[in-house]
Amino acid sequence: MSLTNAQRQKLLLFPVYVALTAAGIFTLIPFAWLVCAAFKTNADIFAFNFLPLGDGFLGVDWGRLTLLNFFRLFRELGIGVALTNSIFLAATSALLATFCCSLAGYALAKFRFAGRGLVMSLVLAALVVPGSLLLAPGYKLLYDLGLLNSFAGLILPGLTPAFGVFLFRQAMVNAVPATLIESARIDGAGEFRIYFTIVLPLVRPMIGAYLMITFLGTWNNFIGPQIVLQDPQSFPLSVAINQLRGLYGTDYGLIMSGTLVSIAPVLALFLLLQKEFIAGLTSGAVKG
Amino acid sequence: MSAPSRLRAFFAVTTPAVWVLLALALGAAGLIAARPGARSTGMSHWLFAKGHVAVYTPVFAKWNAEQPTEATRIESLLIDGPALERRMLSAFMSGTPVADIVETERSMACRAFTGPLEDVGFVDLTDLLKAEGLMDKINAPSFAPWTSRGRIFGLPHDVHPVMLAYRADLVEAAGIDLSKVETWAEFFQAMRPLMADGDGDGRPDRYLLNFWPNNRDLMELLLLQAGGGLFDADERVAIATERNAFVLANLATWCAGPGRVTVDAPDFTAAGNTLRLRGVVVAALMPDWLAGIWKLDMPDLGGKLRLMPLPAWEKGGRRTSVVGGTMLGITKASKDFETAWALAKRLYLDPEVHAAFFKRTTIIPPFKSSWEHPAFAAPDPFFGGQPSGTLFISQAADVPMRPASPYNLPALARVNEVLIALAERAAREGISDPEVLLPDARARLAGAQQRVEKMISRNVFLRETPPAR
Repeated sequence: MSLTNAQRQKLLLFPVYVALTAAGIFTLIPFAWLVCAAFKTNADIFAFNFLPLGDGFLGVDWGRLTLLNFFRLFRELGIGVALTNSIFLAATSALLATFCCSLAGYALAKFRFAGRGLVMSLVLAALVVPGSLLLAPGYKLLYDLGLLNSFAGLILPGLTPAFGVFLFRQAMVNAVPATLIESARIDGAGEFRIYFTIVLPLVRPMIGAYLMITFLGTWNNFIGPQIVLQDPQSFPLSVAINQLRGLYGTDYGLIMSGTLVSIAPVLALFLLLQKEFIAGLTSGAVKG
Repeated sequence: MSAPSRLRAFFAVTTPAVWVLLALALGAAGLIAARPGARSTGMSHWLFAKGHVAVYTPVFAKWNAEQPTEATRIESLLIDGPALERRMLSAFMSGTPVADIVETERSMACRAFTGPLEDVGFVDLTDLLKAEGLMDKINAPSFAPWTSRGRIFGLPHDVHPVMLAYRADLVEAAGIDLSKVETWAEFFQAMRPLMADGDGDGRPDRYLLNFWPNNRDLMELLLLQAGGGLFDADERVAIATERNAFVLANLATWCAGPGRVTVDAPDFTAAGNTLRLRGVVVAALMPDWLAGIWKLDMPDLGGKLRLMPLPAWEKGGRRTSVVGGTMLGITKASKDFETAWALAKRLYLDPEVHAAFFKRTTIIPPFKSSWEHPAFAAPDPFFGGQPSGTLFISQAADVPMRPASPYNLPALARVNEVLIALAERAAREGISDPEVLLPDARARLAGAQQRVEKMISRNVFLRETPPAR
């Protein structure tokens, strides 16, 4: 009995799927360790690699697992405040940065104005400046502007990152035909109307991808909030969780449960946006 | 176009992510806006060590209750170490906001001593300490890391003497008697039977000590114990010394080559702690603060460990060393120095605070009169009922001095490169005799000394260092 082409292709792909599944499981091992550690006491974290062994179902001592770390996280340490701060900072930064970068990218891609080449050169030059180099002067500037210990001090410096401007400029060049914009102008549409109703829908995948990138970047930002924010009530999750790690004692169970809590919203957002995220990242990758 | 169609068209302009994030941002903003926005106008205290917070909180609460006005009340803020260092140095260099009182660690504090003495951001406490008789009441070596060019800029928090912690259960089961051991050579000789290859995999089942070539802190600890180090008492570079060469040559043969006795079991890591729990590491260099961490992280080791003074490099030599250190400094930007000083003394010179601290962290204070507190003499179940406090205190006076050079870290890195090179050579050529490595150690240390001296010579402000005696 001969195999059809489709069956042959499936058979050939089988080892690929097996290898990919094995690699997938391998990459999930640290995550599995994290999840297990979040439900263990400090004594059990180093005594067992994953779940505590015993006589229970599957050879696990289920009775030794605990939810105490999560209770302490929310009741004693008020991690909810940090979670709110993180959501606010990450969502606001992502929205504003995407809006500003898309505007700047659109202007650089589709408008001809004096100094456009210079601005583009500055954007490209800014790409090579490491962020950590700007911490000290940035801190001084924020102090002079009276923005220390405020959310604005974190959001404003990240409004138009060079990477975002360049990314949107490239997306606009490829995805937005000049003739479409010209037609809209002939029909009497204003520049903002053109931007909102014609340009934005055309770069929708890039917007989804960039939102995700900036959201994740802000969510994981650690050193920035540490430097700028001075009030524990303003600390985002990244800083609050790090506070659980002490020089003279580390509560690993608490840190792991805090890490799990901090991963959950990002994971949910990624699952919600994964289609657009992947579409945005691959747009332009294949010649149409 | 109907209203629902218009609404659909409106939302279709962009990705749903925008609307989701907008909803999240607005919701979070509402919650943040609803919070009470009380902002303190009093004094502030920064610290980096989470373990200190629980001890200080009741002290601050009592202090604040005693204050008649908001201006002298204190608010404490826990900040991650690197962020505290960056904020503190930014404040000292460019006048950005800084707390009235800053609790900082040795490696961060010394960075503040880079410039001219008059520009150090901490208040010089030397004369005040002398006037109040505190120089005699505080363990002398504890001042060293906060002393730059003869001036003291901080009140010491600790002593951090180092002992040797070993697995008594394994040692006793092997019938080894450590009571007569005085030197490192005797220690390794006595413990050798524990390095047997019981499982036949070609490697020892256990290693005798927790040490590895690129652990700079432990390397410095052992250099200081031997009387070596990186800087002399006048803060001049003293890397290329015979003592340092001797220690590095020995350390290289400890951790590489046929005579290897040490293993890499890093602290604060799951991998390192697992090796300790499984008994792969028999002994560890144990400063008082690390004992507190082990109690929290590895309660299963409770009762299995014992403390003993460090074996000396030679008979009659020093039986302890030092690693780490914290101080409390009052910044020149403080609004009220007198109040800050009073609070500093409340935090650092109160025997009850010291006892509470010891119970939580096993850290002993440098304030000598606190050593009489019964808390320090209590049997410690983690160390099989030994009085860990008394044992650490017995070594306090002998803790080596450490100059507070801002170049300590780069100098340590250069010396560590020498140790790594020596260990590589010991492994490559199968060297177990330190004498063979000595000429190489001397030559490499001379090169390291030159590099560090060149680096320091670029700092014009440090040329005011006192001349050689």
